[in-house]
Amino acid sequence: METAFNLTNITNTLLQDIAPAKAMIAALIGIRIGSMGFLIPREIYCEMLDKVPVNALPNVPPCLNGLLNFRGHLVPVFDLRVVLAEELPDNEAKKRKLCMIDRGDNAAAVWIDSFPELKDSFYLQPLKTLPPLPPLLKRFVTDGFELDGQVWLNVNYEDLFKALGQQQEVKA
Amino acid sequence: MIAFTQIQPIASTAPLNAGSMSKTTEELINLLLIQVERVQHCLQGIIISNQSSVRTGLQQADDALERLVNACQTVGFKGLSDIGLHVGNNIRLFQTPQHTFKTEQLTLLLDWLSHVHIYLPNFNDGQAQQGILKGLDNKQWAEPLSYELLNTLALQIASEIKSISEHTELLRIEKATDADISITLPSDVNQELLELLLQELPVLTQQFSEAIQRLQISGSEQDVMIAQRIAHTLKGSANTVGIKGIAVLTHHLEDILIACSKAQKTPSALANALLDASDCLESMSEALLGFTPPPENAKAVLQTILDWANRFDKGEWPNETIEAIETSPMPDTVGNDGEEPVATTALQPTMVRVAADKVENLFRLSGESITLNSQAQESIRVMKKQLQDMRLQFGLLKKLGDELEQLIDIKNLSGQAITATNPDFDNLEMDQYNELHTVSRRMAEAAVDAREIGLDINREMDKVNEVLEQQQNLVIEVQDVAMQTRLVSVSSIAPRLQRCLRQTCRLTGKQSDLFFTGENLLIDGDTLNAIIDPLLHILRNAIDHGIEHEADRLPVNKPRKGRIAIEFGREGNNLLVRCQDDGRGLDLVAIRAAAEKRGWLTPGQSVTTTELQRFILRPNFSTRDISTQTSGRGVGISTVLSQIKSLGGKLNMESEAGKGLMIELNIPLPLSLTHVLLVNVGQHRVTIANSGITQIHYIGEMSLITANNQEKLSLDGKTYEFLKLDKLLKFSRQSKHNGEYGAILLVQHDDKTTAVLVDSIIDTRDVVIKSLGHYLGKMQGFVGATIFGDGSVKPVIDLPALLRTTSHHDINNDDDEPETFETHDFKLPSVLIVDDSLSQRRSLEQLLEDAGYKVHTARDGIEAIELLAQIKPDLVLTDLEMPRMNGIELTAHIRAQYNEQRLPVMMVTSRTTLKHRQLAEKAGVDCYLTKPVPDEELIVKIQTLMEQAVNKQPAII
Repeated sequence: METAFNLTNITNTLLQDIAPAKAMIAALIGIRIGSMGFLIPREIYCEMLDKVPVNALPNVPPCLNGLLNFRGHLVPVFDLRVVLAEELPDNEAKKRKLCMIDRGDNAAAVWIDSFPELKDSFYLQPLKTLPPLPPLLKRFVTDGFELDGQVWLNVNYEDLFKALGQQQEVKA
Repeated sequence: MIAFTQIQPIASTAPLNAGSMSKTTEELINLLLIQVERVQHCLQGIIISNQSSVRTGLQQADDALERLVNACQTVGFKGLSDIGLHVGNNIRLFQTPQHTFKTEQLTLLLDWLSHVHIYLPNFNDGQAQQGILKGLDNKQWAEPLSYELLNTLALQIASEIKSISEHTELLRIEKATDADISITLPSDVNQELLELLLQELPVLTQQFSEAIQRLQISGSEQDVMIAQRIAHTLKGSANTVGIKGIAVLTHHLEDILIACSKAQKTPSALANALLDASDCLESMSEALLGFTPPPENAKAVLQTILDWANRFDKGEWPNETIEAIETSPMPDTVGNDGEEPVATTALQPTMVRVAADKVENLFRLSGESITLNSQAQESIRVMKKQLQDMRLQFGLLKKLGDELEQLIDIKNLSGQAITATNPDFDNLEMDQYNELHTVSRRMAEAAVDAREIGLDINREMDKVNEVLEQQQNLVIEVQDVAMQTRLVSVSSIAPRLQRCLRQTCRLTGKQSDLFFTGENLLIDGDTLNAIIDPLLHILRNAIDHGIEHEADRLPVNKPRKGRIAIEFGREGNNLLVRCQDDGRGLDLVAIRAAAEKRGWLTPGQSVTTTELQRFILRPNFSTRDISTQTSGRGVGISTVLSQIKSLGGKLNMESEAGKGLMIELNIPLPLSLTHVLLVNVGQHRVTIANSGITQIHYIGEMSLITANNQEKLSLDGKTYEFLKLDKLLKFSRQSKHNGEYGAILLVQHDDKTTAVLVDSIIDTRDVVIKSLGHYLGKMQGFVGATIFGDGSVKPVIDLPALLRTTSHHDINNDDDEPETFETHDFKLPSVLIVDDSLSQRRSLEQLLEDAGYKVHTARDGIEAIELLAQIKPDLVLTDLEMPRMNGIELTAHIRAQYNEQRLPVMMVTSRTTLKHRQLAEKAGVDCYLTKPVPDEELIVKIQTLMEQAVNKQPAII
């Protein structure tokens, strides 16, 4: 049985509870995958999924883990660690969680290392140059930031997922 | 004070040159004469010494002259209309401080008018023609005409005699006929444009109605203009689709509203007639949508509008309190003499317009229902099995109860009673029952009862199962109906393909016919839309590269005209489209030369014919050095391949030198429900769609043979190539499974049969196929995925497609081809279409896309400007009248912003007057076309303008 909580709603509720003077100027959802942090705008619907089985697909590249059944919708599951070409330590594999980005036909899920975090764009320092990134990912990174030594990337998720999907299509 | 009594009023008593004139022409000229007298009257009232009188008189004369000019233009007196415009311009200049207006100027004006009075009834008389030009070069005019212009006008007037007599026959009708109110759809109606019209019609008619209602309350000029603009849009859309009833009514409504706008007044009785007309339009709209029959009073309403329009044409503005006109119903004015109005069209089938995503959702939900139903049926199956087990247990329980009872009885007989109740009877004389007896008996009875209850439950479960099966059938039917809402006849795209053929033939100077087979096939609308572009590409290529010119065909005994045949058919769950032309076939020499030029081949390098043919599938490949309207841009067959691949389809070609080229497209159709096999492959369980599977055999039925150093399977004397499914799916096979293939599937694909080995077949069932979604799209070898009753997702394998992907010579999966399809669009010339009418916009968009242009659209000038900040079209094609910002303002903006780049602007409008044309040209419009514009003429002019812009030469069209 799946359990899920709607991240976008929780974020919005949290922000409403913060006194106006302390409210974040522009809150973003941050997810950590390997050495990279990824930012998701608050307007994009996000949901954490737990205990949802991922059904493998044959003949697909390793970054596409399979499909999950989310209330009758087939949602592809991507592993961005594979895209980043970073190994997954055995002890972290069980800690990973699934985060679904967007909804309906545009929904895709990614494996994340820990629970999402709330980030205030006010404190994010823009990077003049992006760190070395795999070409497939770099095409879809719009800008990068730094906060407390962690790199956070703004990504065009729809185009990235489409490219990852097409990659499997070409290789199938 | 000067009184101009010396000028003789010619009035309507002037003799007409009636001999060669029709009655209608005669009446029209009389109307024009009345208008001339009005201008004269305004001028005659001027007192030169009184500034106020001069100003008022000149303004009134200017207004009256403008009406005369418009009327002349409408009737066909273009020359007179042009002169009138010039005179009007002088009248306006006389009112400026830089110019004086004295007796001399007044005399000039009145003299000219008296010549007009003589000319009109004698327009084919040379002397009368000269008369209206007399004195126009006089220096007393604020702006005298030059000698050259006088000559040009003289020639124009002389040449328009014929057109006047023809034109007058096309003027406003007086009596409404049944044909004028018909909303019957033309037999060759363009379904797409009709859909768009039906979409915008209710909205526009409602807006029109609201504007008229506001007009009746407030009489606001703005509402008149809004209503006029909507009527104009409706007229254009209805004309485009071919719905005469709406086109005629809105045409006359527009004229009336323009007249009201100019006069800045709307008679109250007219407001009532306009309201009736707006109701009638709404009813026509509803009738087209199939909600109601056509309006019964349509003819009466049109007649009322016609009466008003005719009165305005004559310049009659009624005194509202005296001349209020009855509106509908007006049986006496329509000539039906009390007869029942004739319904001009049958009731259309009722239609409901629903957003596509809602149908998609319905489809998805019905699929979910099927999945849940399957889940419930699966549970029932399990429960029935459990019940069966339980019945066995009850049987055992009963048996044990019986044994226990017997044991107790035996114990009693052996004298070991638990309690002795009556010492006077021995055990044989009276049964002795104790607690144990009772309990054992009750236990045996309970076991029987429980078994009975189990049987009852079983019967109930059979009933539930039956209900579930019925429900399943019902939901499948629902899904089928939902699927049917997406089905469209292939014939609906035939007119578009025919039009493309005609255009390309005209542009290339070739001749060809296009034939269809299987065009009545119903297929998914999305798939049909997606194949239009590839088919248009194939057609254009066939004519441009394949079909020869007449001069080349005749010597090789080919018919004068080329022949292209498109055949549609279904093969399993695939749409099969074959396009065969009888042209010269692929020019392998030219292909080789182009390949060598691009460095893909070295001179003398040996290649097979098939390999050479495959070069045309490479992006940006062209055998032409110069790109033309139809080809040479390198966006030909490679684009088709790219589009077909994106649909998960295949493309095949067969070319024969001198005989022609056949291109075959094989595109999978979306599936809703399919029958699948559940099979074990190694440690995996996979789902295979039954399409293409012709036979299933156990491994023992076949024998392994070696032929030509290749292992094959033999069955009933036939041999088959075989493949293992785990290898096809790249599953790793654990050693314990080696050699355990238990079943063989014979799969028909690409005109051959291949045996596919699987471990075992577990089950077969009907499943709902779901798309793999937005990101994964079509995966080669899979029809989609399905959700099983336990919620798990399984990809559904399409074995024929999977086997095709393994083919070594598959042109559709050539990894060597550089994938640069996304750059294609930049090579196409682009046009920005600006029009507020959805159907006009779509019609132009379709025409230009079919002609090979990349098209952008905007709803008005503002939207166009926003778009121009992001894109750089090669030409702007705009309407004149649009909300927010019209075409003139847009052109002026473009000229101010992009003057150096000379972005060509073309205006297509129904406004035919010289005034509008001059305004457009002044704003910087390069080409002003009045509707209707033939498609070919529009395309040729666009092409000319673009070429001129490239050459940076001033456009002259």
